[in-house]
Amino acid sequence: MNNAIAQTTALLSTCALLLTGCGGGGGSVTNTPTSTTNNTTTNTTQTTTTSGAIPIGIALAQTSNVALLGQEGFVGARIAEKYFNSKGGINGTPIKLVSQDTSGDEAGAINAFQTLINKDKVVGIVGPTLSQQAFSADPIAERAKVPVIGASNTANGIPEIGDYIARVSAPVSKVAPNSLKAALKQNPQIKKVAVFYAQNDAFNKSETEIFQQAVREQGLELVTVQKFQTTDTDFQAQATNAINLKPDLVIISGLAADGGNLVRQLRELGYKGIIIGGNGLNTPNVLSVCKALCDGVLIAQAYSPEYPGEINKVFRQAYIEQYKKEPAQFTGQSFTAVQVYVEALKKLDKKSKISTLPLDKLRTELNKEILSGEYDTPLGKIGFTPVGDVVQSEFYVAQIKMDKDGNTGKFVFIK
Amino acid sequence: MDITLFLQQFLNGLSIGSIYAIFALGYTLVYSILGIINLAHGAIFTLGAYFTYALMGGSFGFNGLLANAALPIKLPFAIALILGSTLAGLIGVVMERVAFQPLRRQGSDPLLTVVSSLGVAVVIVNLIQYLVGAESYTYPADTYGNLPPSINFGTQEKEIPIRTVQIIIFAVSVGIVAIITYFINRTKYGKAMQAIAEDPTTASLLGINSDRFIILTFFISSFLAGLAGTLVASSVSIAGPYFGIAFGLRGLAVIVLGGLGSIPGAVLGGLLIGLVEAFVPAEYSGYKEAVAYGILFIMLLVRPQGLLGRRFIQKV
Repeated sequence: MNNAIAQTTALLSTCALLLTGCGGGGGSVTNTPTSTTNNTTTNTTQTTTTSGAIPIGIALAQTSNVALLGQEGFVGARIAEKYFNSKGGINGTPIKLVSQDTSGDEAGAINAFQTLINKDKVVGIVGPTLSQQAFSADPIAERAKVPVIGASNTANGIPEIGDYIARVSAPVSKVAPNSLKAALKQNPQIKKVAVFYAQNDAFNKSETEIFQQAVREQGLELVTVQKFQTTDTDFQAQATNAINLKPDLVIISGLAADGGNLVRQLRELGYKGIIIGGNGLNTPNVLSVCKALCDGVLIAQAYSPEYPGEINKVFRQAYIEQYKKEPAQFTGQSFTAVQVYVEALKKLDKKSKISTLPLDKLRTELNKEILSGEYDTPLGKIGFTPVGDVVQSEFYVAQIKMDKDGNTGKFVFIK
Repeated sequence: MDITLFLQQFLNGLSIGSIYAIFALGYTLVYSILGIINLAHGAIFTLGAYFTYALMGGSFGFNGLLANAALPIKLPFAIALILGSTLAGLIGVVMERVAFQPLRRQGSDPLLTVVSSLGVAVVIVNLIQYLVGAESYTYPADTYGNLPPSINFGTQEKEIPIRTVQIIIFAVSVGIVAIITYFINRTKYGKAMQAIAEDPTTASLLGINSDRFIILTFFISSFLAGLAGTLVASSVSIAGPYFGIAFGLRGLAVIVLGGLGSIPGAVLGGLLIGLVEAFVPAEYSGYKEAVAYGILFIMLLVRPQGLLGRRFIQKV
């Protein structure tokens, strides 16, 4: 190969890597060589102690088509960092968020976890964005005995990955059926239900099973189950297939872009019944996709900006000041994940000064504190089951209400 | 399948297939002239959609480095479509000068040019994400004026609703294919392009400036990609910087199915893949891409040169 070709290829590759690193608000890209499982495991025997700011890892998607969700989580974590440091951090020692971009796939999540654990030596990790990624990356943290708090992992089986894996994102089995009940309350005549789901995503597959089970339990008829991919944009064939069966209710488990497009095409093709969106549509980003046609979509929530708790008021105000809109569920949940770390670290510090603890001991003790604590968060009062699943009492259902211009709208919570 | 459903899916297939066709035309043009596959074609598709969005709304959107940066103008859709596609065409020309021409001058292997085009695609996609963020962007509700969202081609009892935007897309696609076919077959420039495709050396001896026609080819190819991107975006939304990647892969399948380098083949391949996808049964709807590519594999086994491609004859 001659020099010109080599130089062109090298230049393009370098540009690509640099630009990937720039993507989405400051997340860095993990380009370090992938560590082996052995490296991760031996890391637990280190005696590194924390000094200065206490590093907490944030492993969320800053790039790829999942960046929509990851960036929402990232914002919540940053607000928490600023707020809790302004309140004195961990008994006088500030926390410092160390972020790694997981991108949208499993390999990206694994790389991010490896780097946070081995290079950045974080005390614990918030993330990753998708349940699908969690099933691959969480075992890395489990083997290294590093606590993980999932802020947006709602698929069944996440906390069961290991002793060090917890989540503040309520399982889909608790959240999803609430929207079906709300739909039946709005229209008791609902008989026929059409279900759509993204089959290439673990969370959406898990969520649709919960929805389909809830439909059967309500004695409703499941007239069709249509599958798609999260990367799809054209749903006309699936939409017309379903509309021909004259459903009274449509339930969609997808992400914001594909789910929003599906809502739009269903409405444009004449479907007038109620639409329920799953957790992937639970983001204001969906509004810019289906715009006026988003109006009326029901979505179950694990977070409400209207929750009256003090910490939620602080969080909500900080978010609105910065972004001029209401915070999304994933933002609230990632704030909560950082809050859990802060409060657990505070408790631990009072028992034994954390600056004197070796890193591996600190991580183990921190995990115990996380699971045993109770927290007053933007999600309400929460705790954890012994296995690490969130115990949460407050759930909500919101309905999208679009403004007259059809461009802006909000999630209005149904009493 | 009853006749209503058959007609419904046939029309769905035609509308999406027509987009595949004009997208694949761009691939085919570059392949015809240079014998390379330009993997940045999908990224240019995305760029075209963003350009038109910015020209229509007078802003680049609400995220990334260009968040809320305003343009001095807001254009009607038809003008924004032409200007946006033209900008995409110009980006294609820049891409050719920066990433393809140096390699061509070195007489390098076409495979290296393909890798170079892949690099360009990655740079463009990441640059978009850096500049305007990862959010989806939707064209204004009045993009097509006050037309109804869908038209019923059936009866009141047996409805066959087709989205108006799909009919517009189909009409524009048919028009574009007709113009390109006329341009290639009937005009002096088109014939010169055909001559270069046949034998660049002889074309040069006949006084045809190959370099100029390669630039023209890249402009037309990227213009078509930008146009297809805008039309799809007006039908769905710009689903983020990766919007064109799936189309890029689909376009490859279309030109291979139709026959590499064949313009009628690109049109036929696009329509066929669109129809195949539309007729995948409901319970397998998530596998429609796999079905389309499965047919492609079978086609390659039975007729490797594609439906309308010429068989390669090696002279010894």
